[in-house]
Amino acid sequence: MAAGLQVVFGVQKIFNLACGSFYALGAYVGVSAVGWYVGAGGPPALFIVPLALAGLAVGAVGIVVERGLLRFVYDRDETFQLLMTFAIVLMMEDAIRLTWGTAPRSTAGLYLAYGQVQLLGATAPVYNLIVIAASLAIALAIGWLLARTAFGRIIRATADNREMAEALGVDMRRVYAEVFTLGTALGTLGGALVIPTTAAMSEMGIELIVEAFAVVVIGGLGSMRGAFGGALVVGVLRAIAISVYPELEMLLIYLIVIAVLAARPRGLFGGAAA
Amino acid sequence: MTHDHSSRRQFLKLLGAGAGAAAASRLDAPAAGTQASGPVKIGVLTIRAGVAAPVGAAGLRATEWWAERVNNAGGILGRPIQLVVEEESNPKDTVERFRKLVLQDQVEVVLGGISTGVTLALGPVAEDLGTPWLSWDGTTQRGVEETMPNPKWAFKSVDNEVEAIVAGILTPKYFKGIKTVAGIGNDYSYGHDCWESYQAVLRRYVSDVKFVLELFPKLGVTDFTSHIAAIQQSKADLLMCSFWSGDATIIMKQAAAVGLFKTMKGVFTTAGGVHDSLKKEFTPEGLLLGYNTMYFDDPKGSALLKQFVREYKAKYNEYPPYECDHAFFNAESYKVAVEKAAGPAKKWPEKARVVKALEGLEIESLSGKRSWREDHVQMCNFYQGITTHKNAYDFVTIGPLEVVSTKQAMKPAGSKLFEWIAGWKV
Amino acid sequence: MKGGLAVALGAGAIAAAPLVASTYHVLLMLPFMAYAVVLLGLNLLFGYAGLVSFGHALFIGLGAYTGAFLTTHAKIRSLEVILLAAAALGALVAVPVAALCVRYVKIYFGMLTLAFGMVFYTFVLKFYRLTGGDEGLPFLRPSLLGQSLDAMPKTDYLVGPYYYYSLAVLGLAALGMWRIVHSPFGLCLKTIRDNPAKAETLGIGVTRHRFYAFVISAVYAAVGGALLGPPTGNVDPTLAYWTHSGNIVFMTLLGGFTSFFGPVVGAFVFIYLQNWVMSVVPYWRLIFGAMLAVIVILAPDGLMGFVTRRRPALAGRT
Repeated sequence: MAAGLQVVFGVQKIFNLACGSFYALGAYVGVSAVGWYVGAGGPPALFIVPLALAGLAVGAVGIVVERGLLRFVYDRDETFQLLMTFAIVLMMEDAIRLTWGTAPRSTAGLYLAYGQVQLLGATAPVYNLIVIAASLAIALAIGWLLARTAFGRIIRATADNREMAEALGVDMRRVYAEVFTLGTALGTLGGALVIPTTAAMSEMGIELIVEAFAVVVIGGLGSMRGAFGGALVVGVLRAIAISVYPELEMLLIYLIVIAVLAARPRGLFGGAAA
Repeated sequence: MTHDHSSRRQFLKLLGAGAGAAAASRLDAPAAGTQASGPVKIGVLTIRAGVAAPVGAAGLRATEWWAERVNNAGGILGRPIQLVVEEESNPKDTVERFRKLVLQDQVEVVLGGISTGVTLALGPVAEDLGTPWLSWDGTTQRGVEETMPNPKWAFKSVDNEVEAIVAGILTPKYFKGIKTVAGIGNDYSYGHDCWESYQAVLRRYVSDVKFVLELFPKLGVTDFTSHIAAIQQSKADLLMCSFWSGDATIIMKQAAAVGLFKTMKGVFTTAGGVHDSLKKEFTPEGLLLGYNTMYFDDPKGSALLKQFVREYKAKYNEYPPYECDHAFFNAESYKVAVEKAAGPAKKWPEKARVVKALEGLEIESLSGKRSWREDHVQMCNFYQGITTHKNAYDFVTIGPLEVVSTKQAMKPAGSKLFEWIAGWKV
Repeated sequence: MKGGLAVALGAGAIAAAPLVASTYHVLLMLPFMAYAVVLLGLNLLFGYAGLVSFGHALFIGLGAYTGAFLTTHAKIRSLEVILLAAAALGALVAVPVAALCVRYVKIYFGMLTLAFGMVFYTFVLKFYRLTGGDEGLPFLRPSLLGQSLDAMPKTDYLVGPYYYYSLAVLGLAALGMWRIVHSPFGLCLKTIRDNPAKAETLGIGVTRHRFYAFVISAVYAAVGGALLGPPTGNVDPTLAYWTHSGNIVFMTLLGGFTSFFGPVVGAFVFIYLQNWVMSVVPYWRLIFGAMLAVIVILAPDGLMGFVTRRRPALAGRT
């Protein structure tokens, strides 16, 4: 999810408040897809396939949002873009409630379909390892996409200097639509992949945005490496705070966000050209 | 305060204008002796968004089921029921909704109210507007202390901490030899109060019990991996958890993933609120699980309960949680109180007579007999028991079933909770 | 002249409302007036300095909690003292926050204010011994101009003296803000908004002006927050949540940030529209979200934009 946020911000300079909503959407669609898959008699061992496909497919909603709403505000102040994504947050919350109702949804026991392993003396579900591997793979794939392909070069050029890229004949409309969709798909895929370990709740979007925002700010806006660094920092801090002084858990994260923003607005991991 | 004369005069003038305005605006208030025909308007407040939305939905569904039933049987004193539903959200907006129900819609009674932050604000407003308000699940307690000991119009739910007290009473019975306990609850008053009460009760039964860890994640968190790791490290004999929303399901899942309950006992005071999401695949047998005030699968359940569960399942494809019982009890007790206050003449009674009739009233609710204590607090039974996989569902149920009355587990009117617990004969 | 007439008519209508409107609608005017005070301040930042704060719920919460704390713990019931204390505390907290935030603009400014807002929210939720946590604190009925009005029924108090008190505060706040935006300070802010580099060369201290604008807006938000408390009678952390910050920006945009009275109109329309839509459909967030999207795309000047497009003089825009 943080990765999706980074890609979109890096290129389009849009801070997407709605990324949490996309994440929630992915989670709900994931639950439905798996439910349908199991209902249709698919082997439980392969449930991750429909899950991931559904997560990616619903990323297509990104095209709709980008074409239908966001493209109108590219020329405006960034504030309007922020507000537009706030509007999307409001709409998505109700849209999810309309579609899936208010009760939390979960994928029953499939989480443990892959069994558990002993790791460093602790029990860990295999599914967690799969998700970690998948996120690393996605990160590498995006890194490769940005660094090595023609599409990546165009994206980076646009991020650096939009006018120049446009002058060189890059079709801005297309790049923006593609990038936003990619970002959305990363969010929905993240939501879908994580859902077997947890349950989908309609307010997920609003709750998660604040945390994702912390991750991104700590990591550095628009930096992919930063997203992962930031996620790591937040994750580790959380674990430490919970075992040392649980009262401070969330407060600590916000205070670090402020400290980072105040001292290094480009983030701990953001390079000079972030 | 000192101030000059001109401002005082100005203020008095304003005051005069204000009083005039108040007098004028009172014209639109409902007349004291109410019209005796046409539909009875009943206001309902329900949560529609956020963590507690499923709770709100359950309360509303039961209220609608009740209204349909009563209307089919001829209404209240021959008047059909018309529900006016508004949303419970934050305290500020909900107070505005409450005023709308009373002042604009001119309802006879307001049912509903779930979150304590909201109901604390609603209590005084109900008193001011002089309209009966029967709360589903919210109290007017701050922490475990009552703020409105002698209300006239406000009728409040069971004290929040009762289910933790019941669990504290049952813990030593089912889990012998417990010495160390870890606790996890949501980081708000309900979570903290449950944990404090549970500790106080357990200490009375097991004098050398040690409470080794307490965790309070924010309400709405969906990842407890770090919390579960900390609980494992604490090596406690037992985990007490007061989660009641989707997070109860999530922690159960994530605990199963690392085999937490293979070595640890578990007490889930309130997770019965999301009982049909506690699938057998990840919810072990042998946990103490609380269903609050209604257990849908009660083997001794009444025909009314069985009919309700059947129709609820048919309509919503879910099994009803306890909030249905709170809501049904509120609505049904209002109806009975109106009929009682009307007397043999069957004349529609004034609101003040209805609230008098409610005091001490006992009626048949979904879960069995329930009543209003004289100080406007609900009296009922709490259902808890040990989880089992021996049933026809894909989720756990409980057996043996323990039924504990609020007469035993709720502090008496006017008493202080911890002094009361300290005074128990164990 | 026409603008002045409109304002006079508006003020007259508000003053006459308790005599003609139903009690419930009069009660709805109370949050309107409180938000109007908040938004007058917010728009100094948004409309005049070009900085959009996503954390002003912090100051609303601060003002409301100041009043609740004073009435319940310190036994101070005088609304004058409460408003002054809220203003002072708002300024005090705003100084360090502003000092950090105004170094950044646009998105970074928005995010920093959001982070500060959430720090305050978490603080209020966590330190429940002081703040009551999620249950909040009661805001006992304040006395007005030294007169204790506890004997009155609460509704009569709210639609009578408290109503006119709020109106007076709103009037003073509007007057004060009018003076501020039409002072050399206000002109400097507008210059900075439109062209910071030019402002710098003209010798205008960009950061310093933004700093003052932030602190003034925080004071307004705190005073408005304190006024928001008594009608509910209880203050709670949701007042400080980030979506509340989002809502007040929404109100500003709805009314029109390019106009002096736009945000006030926005607050009015938002509150009455929400009241109506909430009763009619359960999915009012969907409708409000769509409405916000439409405003952002089609009418970024808000409702007042329709008026001011023909009459740029009222807009107060250079």
